[in-house]
Amino acid sequence: MRTAFSILQKDLRMEFRSKESILAMWIFSLLIFVIFNFTFEVSRLVMLEIAPGLLWVAFIFSGMFGLNHSFAVEKEDGNLRSMALMPVDGGQIYLGKFLSVTIIMLMFEFLIFPIFIIFYDLQLSFQMFLLIPVILAGTIGFTSLGTILSAVAVHTRNQQILLSLLLWPLVSPIIIWSVNLTGMVLGGGEIGAVFFPLLIRVAAFDVIFFTIAYMLFDFILED
Amino acid sequence: MRPTIDKTLLIVLLITFLTSIFLIFNWVPQIKASNEAEQIAQKIFYFHVPSAWLGFMSFFVVFVASVAYLATRQRRWELISVASAEIGVLFITLVLITGPIWAKPVWGIWWTWDARLTSSLILWLIYVAFLMLRRYLPDGSKRANLSAVVGIIGFIDVPIVYYSIRWWETQHPNAVMASGEGSLAGPMFFTFMFSLATFTILYAYILRKRYQLLELEDTLNKQFKEMEIL
Repeated sequence: MRTAFSILQKDLRMEFRSKESILAMWIFSLLIFVIFNFTFEVSRLVMLEIAPGLLWVAFIFSGMFGLNHSFAVEKEDGNLRSMALMPVDGGQIYLGKFLSVTIIMLMFEFLIFPIFIIFYDLQLSFQMFLLIPVILAGTIGFTSLGTILSAVAVHTRNQQILLSLLLWPLVSPIIIWSVNLTGMVLGGGEIGAVFFPLLIRVAAFDVIFFTIAYMLFDFILED
Repeated sequence: MRPTIDKTLLIVLLITFLTSIFLIFNWVPQIKASNEAEQIAQKIFYFHVPSAWLGFMSFFVVFVASVAYLATRQRRWELISVASAEIGVLFITLVLITGPIWAKPVWGIWWTWDARLTSSLILWLIYVAFLMLRRYLPDGSKRANLSAVVGIIGFIDVPIVYYSIRWWETQHPNAVMASGEGSLAGPMFFTFMFSLATFTILYAYILRKRYQLLELEDTLNKQFKEMEIL
């Protein structure tokens, strides 16, 4: 547990000093909103319908920065080898990395959400608090798979493109469900009976993905 | 021993393949459909569905071989997983090609973002990424480890992808093997099973051949290295 915690601490400290990832993600999301606006000139009603998808497109495209960055820094500093040599369970390293990536991504999502509300003129309501568990569950699914695949992709020449190729198809179930759930909340109507079972399902798959990644991480560090 | 098995497999494969084609095009009765195009298009079912099943089986073999590799660290498991992934991608490619050929006359469109179609495409993407990962990594135990991990995660993800996308409505013809209305009767069932068996033999044959080829590559590389040392 202490290993995971010190990795988390180190990553967060690095991020707060440089603000590299969060800033890049935030600006990139802003760009996505702007580009979507140019490419799909649609009425406000249609915009409302595609807004949940757009939000998640912004999340996952920008999230790639954080994921790529997470192991790329370690590689640049030659730390991958030391991590492999550390006499601790690989799962601990995974846990630390997973936590730092997730926290950074959640902070970015928190910062971009107001912009999203303003750009798409969404009605604020108490129901929106339901987005907190939705975004949390979706993000954890994305980062739990993303962290291990980032550690895989960092060994290749073409890290960034390969991470997207590996991660997006694999994480598509989580994204599909998260978009559905977000749509239910933003739709403004009554939250149907499907909402909570679906949310629990996403959380269940988060646990599955996390557990698999946690168990397999040792094999990735090994030389 | 090896050449005999290969030869026997090849001969069996030739016989079953020709028989399948005969069964599909000459023996099995035409379905009742509104027009001729649909009747002919239906024949593709005997290629489309076995390819899909074999695609899944290939990926299951990738999974088993990946687990076996991580447990034993034997090179042969790695080679089996690569060979099987390549064949799986090939079969799913066939599925993605034969599907639209059937869909055009029957549905009137090549492609629709239907549950099964979408999930097959995602499945294809997962294993293409698996093969690409191997391309980008230098040969060695690192590559073997990383691809085994992705082979395991990928396969566990397959049912989840199918499950999630069924959230949407599907218009794909449903599991015809299940009993009830629209289930396969007599000659059609026989032809289908025969075709499935043929595809399975085809899979076994290609897998063996591909595996041998990969082994040969290994030997060749080893010899190259020895020459370099000299």
